[in-house]
Amino acid sequence: MTFWAGLVCLASVVAAAQNPGYQPDTSWRASEVATARQNPLASRPEAAAGGRKLFAKNCAECHGKNGSGMEKKHSANFHLPVVQEQSDGTLFWKITNGNANRGMPSFSKLPELQRWQLVLYIRQLREPE
Amino acid sequence: MFKACFLLLASAFLLSGTAFGQESPFFVTYTHHMEEPGNLEIETSTTSGIPRSGQRSYTAPYMEMEYGVTAQWTSEFYLEGQSSPGDSSVFTGWRFENRYKPLSREHWINPVLYLEYESVNEASRIQKEVEGGGPDLTSRNALLTPEHAHEVETKLILSSDYHDWNISENFIATKNFSESEGVEFGYSFGVARPLARLASCAECRFCRENFIAGIEMYGGLGSTLGFGVHDTAHYVAPVISWAVSDNSTLRFSPSWGLTHESNPVLIRFGYSYEFQGVGTRISKLFGRKP
Ligand code: HEC
Repeated sequence: MTFWAGLVCLASVVAAAQNPGYQPDTSWRASEVATARQNPLASRPEAAAGGRKLFAKNCAECHGKNGSGMEKKHSANFHLPVVQEQSDGTLFWKITNGNANRGMPSFSKLPELQRWQLVLYIRQLREPE
Repeated sequence: MFKACFLLLASAFLLSGTAFGQESPFFVTYTHHMEEPGNLEIETSTTSGIPRSGQRSYTAPYMEMEYGVTAQWTSEFYLEGQSSPGDSSVFTGWRFENRYKPLSREHWINPVLYLEYESVNEASRIQKEVEGGGPDLTSRNALLTPEHAHEVETKLILSSDYHDWNISENFIATKNFSESEGVEFGYSFGVARPLARLASCAECRFCRENFIAGIEMYGGLGSTLGFGVHDTAHYVAPVISWAVSDNSTLRFSPSWGLTHESNPVLIRFGYSYEFQGVGTRISKLFGRKP
């Protein structure tokens, strides 16, 4: 009995640690210039490993270890096409500025290239087609 | 009651998560980077003054508690003391400061407004800022401690991130309501940059990405009774910070005094520890929805 109760509890925790219905805030928009920015590390995919480390330290707390978001925290699920369809420049701008009213902090204090490393890593979280 | 509160707070801290300690290396200059909402940072620091002839040597320890009230509002509370060899060790007072960042997005120049109330005495030597002519470095503590200062200090903080550089300028105006010395002015500027721009994939403590180095300069600009750099203290100081662990940072800065009113050398050390999500956990402990 305790075993089954434990299993149900565990399943509900796992289910809570996801945000399948995440929709981006339409008023949180980067300028055209910011949207068009290219990732300077695009030709260095190996830099994504550093992005993974930064993600675990700074982001996993809200976005979950695997980046699938958390319903309770309204945090973005990076597996979803609504996030992945956005340009590198937009994701970089969102990480830099945050959206304080909806719970996403600004990470402008991380060095610029480290924020681009995070974008590289977020791209790796894209759902397989 | 006190014991219960202490236990509640202690458990809130112990349950807190970790944050990546990428702290500014400056001791005096403020940047526009605010404390994350709900995070509490506790820092202990010391300022030690190496005297020139006629001045007294001292070590001034202080403790700061910095809390992110919202993404645009950070509050800080300080307790400070001072100890001079051959003289005495004294409590020099407390300070309560608030910083408000009016613009929520990042801009070329990011302004932050700063308002502080200080209840300190004239033996205060922490020199979190230098204004007017700088502190009295020659008199004995017994003479200085009875002289209370109730001060309101304002700052305009302008700060820019350019690629990996942070460039910050602070303009200070302070009014001491305990004495008629007009409004005193001061300034500080700083530039800093991480030693490595990319994060390596492995966990490391001594690698360059964990260090930020820079330089700051600060000093007094007289007062409304006599504005200018005449008879004022000025320092130039290399600064370095090291993220020792995910949530703690060590900082060090030797400052060189540029004028006769300055100490020839100030040595500053700081250690800070950041507790993440303290606000949320305390709300939960009191059964409130965060
Ligand atoms: C304190 C919680 C929290 C932390 C820590 C956090 N985020 Fe977020 N993040 C959020 C929330 C909440 C949203 C959704 C904001 C919204 O609804 O507009 C979000 C949204 C985002 C988005 C935008 C998705 C979209 O709508 O297009 C990106 C990109 C992002 N986060 C990246 C990061 C990265 C990278 C880190 C770590 C460096 C991080 N976040 C850390 C809470 C957090």
